[in-house]
Amino acid sequence: MTRFLKKSIWVFHLNTGSCNGCDIEVLDVLTPYFDAERFGVKRVASPRHADAILLTGPITLESLPKVINAIKAVPRPRIIIALGSCAVGGGIWHDTYSTIGGYKELTKILERNGIEVDAVYYVPGCPVRPESIIYAIGLIKGLVKKKVKAKVKKAVT
Amino acid sequence: MDFKRTRIKRLGFVKALSIAGRVGRVTRKYPFEEPLVTPDFRGKIEISEDKCIGCGACVNACPPNALEKISYGKGLYAIKYFIGRCIYCWRCIDVCPVNAITGSREFELATNDLGDLYELVVHDMVKCSICGEYFISTGQRNYVLARSPLTEKYVNIDPNCRKDMFLQNILKRFGGGHD
Repeated sequence: MTRFLKKSIWVFHLNTGSCNGCDIEVLDVLTPYFDAERFGVKRVASPRHADAILLTGPITLESLPKVINAIKAVPRPRIIIALGSCAVGGGIWHDTYSTIGGYKELTKILERNGIEVDAVYYVPGCPVRPESIIYAIGLIKGLVKKKVKAKVKKAVT
Repeated sequence: MDFKRTRIKRLGFVKALSIAGRVGRVTRKYPFEEPLVTPDFRGKIEISEDKCIGCGACVNACPPNALEKISYGKGLYAIKYFIGRCIYCWRCIDVCPVNAITGSREFELATNDLGDLYELVVHDMVKCSICGEYFISTGQRNYVLARSPLTEKYVNIDPNCRKDMFLQNILKRFGGGHD
């Protein structure tokens, strides 16, 4: 990948109304068993120290202004890693009244506010496996190859 | 007394070392080795285009609407599968009448482009022989025909036209039905 992502990624964990399933898996990745610090990943307490934001949960209306402030506080180049079905496409809450429905909708709001995000990585899973978080980190660092691809199949009748 | 305590502390460290030596390295080398996936694990679903008839049973069953029925141009529609919203409950596999959906153990789905997470199965539609409107997929018609050959007369007719035909027949029976 690009040169700016080859350094150690310091992440800020941002919960935006998640059920804590994905957050427990983030905790799992930092244990000795899956040791994400092998790749230089470190969790930091402030978005001002971070290179990436680990976004979990379908962004609720209550958390939306805080999410925008946190993303604004990350120094450029900034990347966002959307973890779990909720953060990627809204998950089970995609059309609820109190959420905006995942990162897909947040991009429009960020554009309207003039906040630029340099790279976005989507990690589906409900909850995400610790391995798939490590896979995403490998993808950012260029250690593994992307496996999914858009498919259009024609039904045989 | 103080000396004794430090000695115990030192001994404890040795004990920990011996345990660490016995257990060995626990950290997985994951991206460079095979992941540990149990047989019960549920991953991404695969829709077989050979078997799918496009009935939409999976669309009704899907809790987060990851499977959707969308229009795909004239005379075509598609079953859209958005992996980014799927919660891997595998309900669609239970409800599929033709066993077109199979589950896989695949979980390495991370990507930097949201477009990669879409899968479409496009279906042809049948034209109504009376009004000329598209109303059902070809696969669905063949599925019905294979089960009950008696419906051959009605199978190419749109439900609304079929309703009209039925009413016309009743009217004829009671002496009406001239337009």
